[in-house]
Amino acid sequence: MAEKIRVAPFWGCMIPVKYPQMELSVRKTMEPIGVELVDLDGFTCCPDPIYFKARDKIEWLTIAARNLCIAEEAGLDVITMCSGCTSTLQEARFMLAEDANLKDRVNEKLKKIGKEYKGTGKVKHIVVMMRDDLGIERVKASVKRPLTGLKVGIHYGCHLLKPSQIMAIDDADYPSLLENLTQAMGATALTHVEKLLCCGKGCMDDDMPLKMTYEIFESMESVGADCMGLICPTCFNSFDMGQILIARKMNREFNLPVIYFCQLLGLAQGFSPEEVGLHLHRIKIDKIMEIISQPKKVKEAV
Amino acid sequence: MSDKKINFSFRERLNNVIGGNHHNYCYQCGACVAVCPAARFSDDFNPRNIMLQTLLGNEEELVGADSIIWKCTNCYSCYERCPQDVRPVEVIIALKNICKEDGVLPPNVDKYSETIVKTGRSVVITSTVSRRRKDLGLPELKDLPVDELQKIIE
Repeated sequence: MAEKIRVAPFWGCMIPVKYPQMELSVRKTMEPIGVELVDLDGFTCCPDPIYFKARDKIEWLTIAARNLCIAEEAGLDVITMCSGCTSTLQEARFMLAEDANLKDRVNEKLKKIGKEYKGTGKVKHIVVMMRDDLGIERVKASVKRPLTGLKVGIHYGCHLLKPSQIMAIDDADYPSLLENLTQAMGATALTHVEKLLCCGKGCMDDDMPLKMTYEIFESMESVGADCMGLICPTCFNSFDMGQILIARKMNREFNLPVIYFCQLLGLAQGFSPEEVGLHLHRIKIDKIMEIISQPKKVKEAV
Repeated sequence: MSDKKINFSFRERLNNVIGGNHHNYCYQCGACVAVCPAARFSDDFNPRNIMLQTLLGNEEELVGADSIIWKCTNCYSCYERCPQDVRPVEVIIALKNICKEDGVLPPNVDKYSETIVKTGRSVVITSTVSRRRKDLGLPELKDLPVDELQKIIE
């Protein structure tokens, strides 16, 4: 058995409060691939890279640095489950490493609570940890029910990849991380023209976010996707609830289940939909279960 | 040519907010517009024009109560594409920080960030949430050290 990896999960706000099913799927799927989650006390909101950052960049950076200090003190790397948290914590690390004056300013504030940011820890989104620290092969080895025949429309979202200067995990225009993980689970990863389009959640406008969601789903539908696979709770909000809003306001039903990557992994590891919280989604997943429960054709020997 | 004068004092103010000074590098090529989803899905959002207005120091338009900047999706595509390292999205966020200083933050943004300062979380925990977590067998959510959070941002 390969060595266990110990990491500090940074759950953020959206996942534990709004979509605890995602937390459940992470807690369920990490043990079988040899990852030990060490829950640390004291993490607050990352804080979010859109609204809180709009309020005050220094306050935003200081709170992010305080969160990073907690993991540093425990000597653990952080894994994030949300693209927003990934963006904030990774950008904070980048800015504090790049600008010594800024780091001094932030540490001056952290001194008031007896903390000092050193910059010794790392931050990785859980899918990046799977690729870089575990290796895709180990993910593959945990699969008991391959998702054969399931066509997954990939949605990267924005903050995992961009800006690549800071995030540095994949090519921002031609990424392959999620495709490779999807294939490791036995499913087919579908590429589609709007694969990299923003979900629109950060845009303060009544119509634009829905229009973006609409385009993404048209694009996925046109290539024959059975579901969408994604890695961010904010995108999930745009797409799961978003499809209900589109049906109501634009009179168009896509009915494509939206699945968080660790929920997909959970299904592949043999967990039931309820065990990874899929019963809580607005768009129901019956279709998917039909596909993956079909008896697999045994390949004939040539 | 317009005879309007450039407002250098506003540009100077923008230069002093983190990320604001990069507006000076913009040479108006429009690469940001080509990749901007907000430009694609609206008639009036145009990051090249927003950068032009920063170069002119057009304070009223940029940080007024009904500024277009709030339609930015924060997707970072412009940051990725810009050949001049302007990082337009960061300049836009710097403009939003000025809105906060001037007390013209949109009410929902203000409320959202205040929730974080007061509770440590951006989403409020209700009894429904606690019940759902319990049903799923997840640990109870603890109160967070908001006193520490408030101390470091005062």
